[in-house]
Amino acid sequence: MIFKIAWRNIYRNKKRSLITITSIFAALFLIIFMRALQFGFYDNLIKTVVESYAGYVEVHAKGFWDNQNLENSMVVDNELIKNIESVNGVENTVERLQSFSLISTGEKTRGGVINGVVIEDEQKITDWNKNIIDGSFQLERNEIIIAKGIAEYFDLQIGDSLILYGQGYRGMMAAGKYPVKGIIDLKNPNLNKLGIFMTLESARDYVSSDNISTHIIIDKRQYYSEDKILNDLESILSSDYEVMTWKETLPEIEQTITADSAGGLIMAFILYIIVVFGMFGTVLMMTEERKYEFGVLISIGMSRIRLFSIILVETVILSMIGVVLAILVTYPISYYFYLNPINIVTLMGEGADVMIEEFGFDPVVPFSISLDIPFSHALIIFTFSLLISVYPAIRIFRLNPVKSMKI
Amino acid sequence: MIETKKLSRIYSQGKFDVKAVDEISSTFKKGEFTSVVGPSGSGKTTFLNCVGGLDKPTGGEVIIDGESLNKLSSTEIIQYRLKNIGFVFQAYNLIPVLSARENIEMIMLLQGANDKIRRERTDELLNQVGLYDMRNRRPSELSGGQQQRVAVARALASKPKFILADEPTANLDTSSTSNLLDIMNKLNENEKITFIFSTHDQRVIDRARRVLTLEDGKIVSDKKK
Repeated sequence: MIFKIAWRNIYRNKKRSLITITSIFAALFLIIFMRALQFGFYDNLIKTVVESYAGYVEVHAKGFWDNQNLENSMVVDNELIKNIESVNGVENTVERLQSFSLISTGEKTRGGVINGVVIEDEQKITDWNKNIIDGSFQLERNEIIIAKGIAEYFDLQIGDSLILYGQGYRGMMAAGKYPVKGIIDLKNPNLNKLGIFMTLESARDYVSSDNISTHIIIDKRQYYSEDKILNDLESILSSDYEVMTWKETLPEIEQTITADSAGGLIMAFILYIIVVFGMFGTVLMMTEERKYEFGVLISIGMSRIRLFSIILVETVILSMIGVVLAILVTYPISYYFYLNPINIVTLMGEGADVMIEEFGFDPVVPFSISLDIPFSHALIIFTFSLLISVYPAIRIFRLNPVKSMKI
Repeated sequence: MIETKKLSRIYSQGKFDVKAVDEISSTFKKGEFTSVVGPSGSGKTTFLNCVGGLDKPTGGEVIIDGESLNKLSSTEIIQYRLKNIGFVFQAYNLIPVLSARENIEMIMLLQGANDKIRRERTDELLNQVGLYDMRNRRPSELSGGQQQRVAVARALASKPKFILADEPTANLDTSSTSNLLDIMNKLNENEKITFIFSTHDQRVIDRARRVLTLEDGKIVSDKKK
C-alpha cells in the first residue's frame, strides 16, 4: 500500500514529477558523459605510458625502488611467477633486468639505462614492436636496440656499435661493445634520451650474473583495480619483495590526473547542487501542499513512520527513474565513443594532434565504459534523495494533526 | 464508555488565554447517539479533538473504558485511535489517490488485517453505505454525499468502539444528509457503535437521542430524548 500511494502521488502531479525527473536525468547525463570522457582520457594516458615502458603493477626485491642498484635485485623462479599469475586481474607478467651504465662512442659519453628484456613476453604488454623506426625488434644475443634520442645524440645508424661501461653484479666490472640492431621511439622525451634494450641473457652476461632480475612487470585486465592486485600480491608474497603500482612509480601521471579530475569533480558538484535543489524544491512543495492530508492520515491512525515511508518511497522513485534513464541513455553513447573515439582535433582544433602525439599519446580519446562511473553517481543521487527526505521527516514527526487540518 | 473529567483546553493567544474547553465533565455510554451543539467558537470541535486524542488537554482527563489517554505516549495514542476510534470529518478527508475501496481498506491494512478479512469487510461496508457499484472510483469522481459515505465506511472499517464526527453534514445537501443519517442510525442500532457528532445542523440534532449544548467551552444543557 505504501508503494501504491507513493506511486499514485507521483502520478498525481505529473508535470512536477516530470520536471524533477528531467532535471535529475539531465544533470546525471552531463555528469556521466563528462566523467566517461575524462576517465577515458586518463585510461588512455595511463595505457599509453604503461605500454611504452612501465607496468600497471611492478614487483621488485625489497628496497630496490629506493636504492636502484643490482645488489637489490632478485632471482625470479617459476613458483614466484605462478604465484603472481594466480592473483585475480593479472593478465601477463614479464621479467626485466635494469641497470644504469655509461654509453660511449667516439668522443661522446652519456648515461643510459640498460634494459634486459624477453622480447616475446614484452610484446604482450608493451607496444615497442610498433614503435621501431629503423631496423628490427628481433634481437640476437649481444645486439641492442637504442632509443631515438640516443641515436640522434651519438649520430648512430643500424649496424654501428656502442660501448657500454658500468658496474656489474657484486662489484664486477661491466663493459662491452654492442652493435645497434634497431632504433625505437619510446614516445617520451626522457625515455628517448636513456633507453637501451638487449635480451635478458645479454644483460645478465653484461652484469656478470646468471639469473638476476630487477623488475617483474604486471599487466592487468581492463578496468580491474591495480590497487586490488597490489593488496592481493602483498598478502601472498613474502616480505623479500616490494609491490608498487604505476601511481607510485609514475607519481607525476597520478598528480596530473588528480588535478584534472578535481576540475571535473567541481563541475559535477555544481550539477549536483542543481539536482539537489530541484529535488528539494519538489519535496518542499510536496510536503507543504500535503500538510492537511498528513494531518488526516495521522488522525485516522497512520503512524508517523509509515507516513514518512510514503514520502521516502516517492523521493526514491523520482530519483531512481531519473537515474535509470540517465544510465540507459548514456551507457550506449559511452560505448559508441569507446568503439569510435573522439578525435582531439575536433575538440581542440588543428595542431592539437601534433602537440599531443609529441608527448606520445594518440590524438583520440575513447570514452571509459567502466560501470563504476554511472553506478557511483547513481549512488550519490540516491544518497542525496535520502538526505533530502530528512526535511519531510522532521515536518512529519513535528506535525500537529489538529493544526495541520485547520484550513 | 467515554468519560471526561474536568476536561480543559486553553489556547494562549498573545497576552490572553482562550478557554476553548472549560472543565467539561461528562459520560458517553456504549451505543449512544449524541449531538454536541453550540454556536461557532463554543468549543465543539476542540472537545471532540480532545476526546479523540487528536489534541492534548491542558487540564483534566479523558478516560475510555477505564484507561486514561493522559497516560499514553503520542505513538500509543495513534495506535489507540487506529483500534478504537473512527473519525468522520466535515471535508471528508479521503486520500485522493486511492479509490473508495482502497480508502476503506487502508485502515484495516494499517491494523494488519489479512487480505481476505479486508476484502470481505470492505465489501460489507460498501454495501451498507450503498456504494458497492462505485467502489473503484476515486474521491474526485464521487459527489460530496458519496464521499462522506465512504468516509463513514472508512471510520467503521476498523470496527471502532465509537465514532467522532465533526460537522459531517456541513457540506451536504438535504437528501445526502438524510441518507447519511439513515446509514449512521442503522449502524448505531445494529452494531451498537457510539456516535458523537459536533454539529449545528438541525437535521442532525433532530435525529440525535442526546443533545449536549456547549457555550464558551462549558456545558449549558444535556438533554436526552
